[in-house]
Amino acid sequence: MLSLRGVTKRFGGITALDHVDFDLRPGEIHALLGENGAGKSTLIKVLGGIHVPEAGSIDIDGRPAHIRGVADANRRGIRLIHQELSLAPNLTIAENIYLGREPRRLGLLDRRRMERDAAALVEELGLHEIRDVRTVVADLTVAHRQLVEIARALSCRARVLVLDEPTSSLSEAETEALFATLRRLREQGVGIIYISHRLAEILRLADRITVLRDGHSIGTQPAAAVNQRELIRWMVGRDVAAQAPPKSLGPGDVALEVRDLRSARVNGVSLELRYGEILGLAGLVGAGRSELARALFGIDAVESGEVRVDGRPVVLRHPRDALAAGIVLVPEDRKREGLIALQTVAFNLALPWTREWITGPVFHAQRRRAIVDRAIRDFRIKTAGPHECVLNLSGGNQQKLVVGKWMERRPKVLILDEPTRGVDVGAREEMFEIIHRLVESGMAVLLISSDLLEVLSLSHRVAVYKDGRILFTAPARELTSERVMEYLTGAKTDENA
Amino acid sequence: MRMLRQMLPLLAAVAGLLVLFRVWVPGFLAPDNMLDLAQQISVNAIIAFGMTLVILTGGIDLSVGALVALVGTTTVYGLIALGGTETQSVPGVMAAMLLGLGAAAAVGLVNGLCAARTRMPPFIITLATMLVARGAALRFNEGRPMHIPEVHTLFLWLGNGRVGCVVPVPVPVLVMLVLFVLAAVLLHRTRFGQHLYAMGGNREAALFTGVPVARIEAVVYVLGSLLAAVAGMINASQLYSAEPASGSGFELSAIAAAVVGGTSFTGGRGTMVGTLIGAVIIGILDKGLNQAGVHFSLQYIVKGLVILAAVYADVRRDR
Repeated sequence: MLSLRGVTKRFGGITALDHVDFDLRPGEIHALLGENGAGKSTLIKVLGGIHVPEAGSIDIDGRPAHIRGVADANRRGIRLIHQELSLAPNLTIAENIYLGREPRRLGLLDRRRMERDAAALVEELGLHEIRDVRTVVADLTVAHRQLVEIARALSCRARVLVLDEPTSSLSEAETEALFATLRRLREQGVGIIYISHRLAEILRLADRITVLRDGHSIGTQPAAAVNQRELIRWMVGRDVAAQAPPKSLGPGDVALEVRDLRSARVNGVSLELRYGEILGLAGLVGAGRSELARALFGIDAVESGEVRVDGRPVVLRHPRDALAAGIVLVPEDRKREGLIALQTVAFNLALPWTREWITGPVFHAQRRRAIVDRAIRDFRIKTAGPHECVLNLSGGNQQKLVVGKWMERRPKVLILDEPTRGVDVGAREEMFEIIHRLVESGMAVLLISSDLLEVLSLSHRVAVYKDGRILFTAPARELTSERVMEYLTGAKTDENA
Repeated sequence: MRMLRQMLPLLAAVAGLLVLFRVWVPGFLAPDNMLDLAQQISVNAIIAFGMTLVILTGGIDLSVGALVALVGTTTVYGLIALGGTETQSVPGVMAAMLLGLGAAAAVGLVNGLCAARTRMPPFIITLATMLVARGAALRFNEGRPMHIPEVHTLFLWLGNGRVGCVVPVPVPVLVMLVLFVLAAVLLHRTRFGQHLYAMGGNREAALFTGVPVARIEAVVYVLGSLLAAVAGMINASQLYSAEPASGSGFELSAIAAAVVGGTSFTGGRGTMVGTLIGAVIIGILDKGLNQAGVHFSLQYIVKGLVILAAVYADVRRDR
């Protein structure tokens, strides 16, 4: 029903899309794959009327469609659901669904009809999770907000739904629920274009897969005909080695010891982390994993329990206490917690080390320069120069910067919270390499990731984490993702099984 | 070099205004007139230095105008009570000035602690303390101005004295320049300054990097208040009396100077030089329009439009 032929889009001298063909059938989930910068976003923005292509044609139901703006795209039933959700959090579900076209009676808002229609729509779509349409969106989880977006799109009779990385902040269970919804919509004849970095997920969900690389379409395949390895080779154009944990140099001394730690969302965690070891924390989003990280870094108040580094007790009241003890954190939300966005690469890299290059009112420009250059070099941060604004870096390079800024003096314990979120396949590999290097140099790493396979393949030991406590800890090679999932979703509760 | 390039549009604006008023008002550029201009700028500039620090963290301080009045009344009250009306005792004058600084520091500390420890927005906190400070100033002498006894030559010298044999520079200008250097060093050459920028750019990320954001926030409001206190003493000295109703609107002039000088209202961007030049621009406009005989109603309108234009230029350059 939707078909793109020879679509070409240039930005200045860069060709973002080069004669791309793409088609979508009704009742199909069509995955769009590619590294960051491969042209996926441009393609969907062309579809959504945000960009106008220089060449090529878009046909809908066999008739040429000229999409010149977002309104055009909406009228033709194409709806984009962005990574950053576009809901008004202070309004209710019903109000959001009918935002901009609220039903009126005598010029006044007809709230009763709006709520009735919204409830009927939600019912019809089978989105039972958001049945209570009078709930304020701010009170919903990210997953449920996404459902509101979908309901809003379909309320305008959308026939083509474009989802950009919808699961990046969803837990496994929420992802499953979303998939069920998408499958149901597929049966109702909606065409779905699905963009994601998570290959396993795509293979499970999609009917067909189109891979973009450097603005070219590499081809379209039925999802049943390919496997993950092939997909990666398609995307990056080369083989990517499967991940394995770094070679352990034998168990080192205990670096971090936590006894019955409690904070607002952590319910008594005990763990031991040794030098040269990666301990993976496997848990669903919302299990309180980041909260454990925040407590260990002195951001959330610790209510009780004991934290020891090198056997010496540490009192954590402020990140400074954690830093003094040799604990650093690479936070979950890079943009919000990791970077000073207005500032340069150099500013960000030098910020943790002001003590080294400023003594009173004396400014040692050379020392600062040396710190910055070392980090850029050691972590291969691709940047036009130290004075470039951090916002101009790619996600992967921003992440390398957030890790690299801590490494001027090697910390003892490195906590990584979602280190590969929002970075492309190539940068992910580099991040793995960096983690390997740090661990082999003897650092102790606590790895938190929503990607279960990542946790299992990268860690030496895995702690299965649920509701703010560790269910059990086991060597990673003795665990499979299925088995971990069983515990996390509550299918199994016996800790010795 | 980069700093100079950033300041170029502002310096060009200063030069343009000077030429304009030179054409309009003969003798505008005469040395005496320029020194007078510098003297008139100094109070606003000193407040604006503090305001810049506060705005850099993403905050705002509306209480500084009322502080000018409160510090004036407190200090003059102290002068009369401790320094005497018949003779001038130096320790007494010092004590009176410390009293004024102390009152300002107390208000600043309340602002800072509220901003750092609660989730109340700085705009509201300082709006409230502005009212409190204004009310406190009006408690002295039943709200009537308090004349500074003429024996207090030392205190009167602060606002009216001149130093130097070749060019007699007004004392307030010297005070302003010294405070400018101190503030610029603090902002651009110390860890505290780095932390201010980090915090204004992204408070959360700064916290995650180990910056003591709460402490910095508390300190920055105290600094802003202390600078306003110095301005308040100069102001009282220049008026030869403590006027409980003075200083109203000073906070807005200071914000204007900072913003015209390129300080970003969302925090994280701005320089001391920029603020100084911003204060100079506002000062030239005030004095020039006055001497050109422009009706004061039009002066307001022109000033408003200039501020709008300056901020628009700044925002555009950003993109």
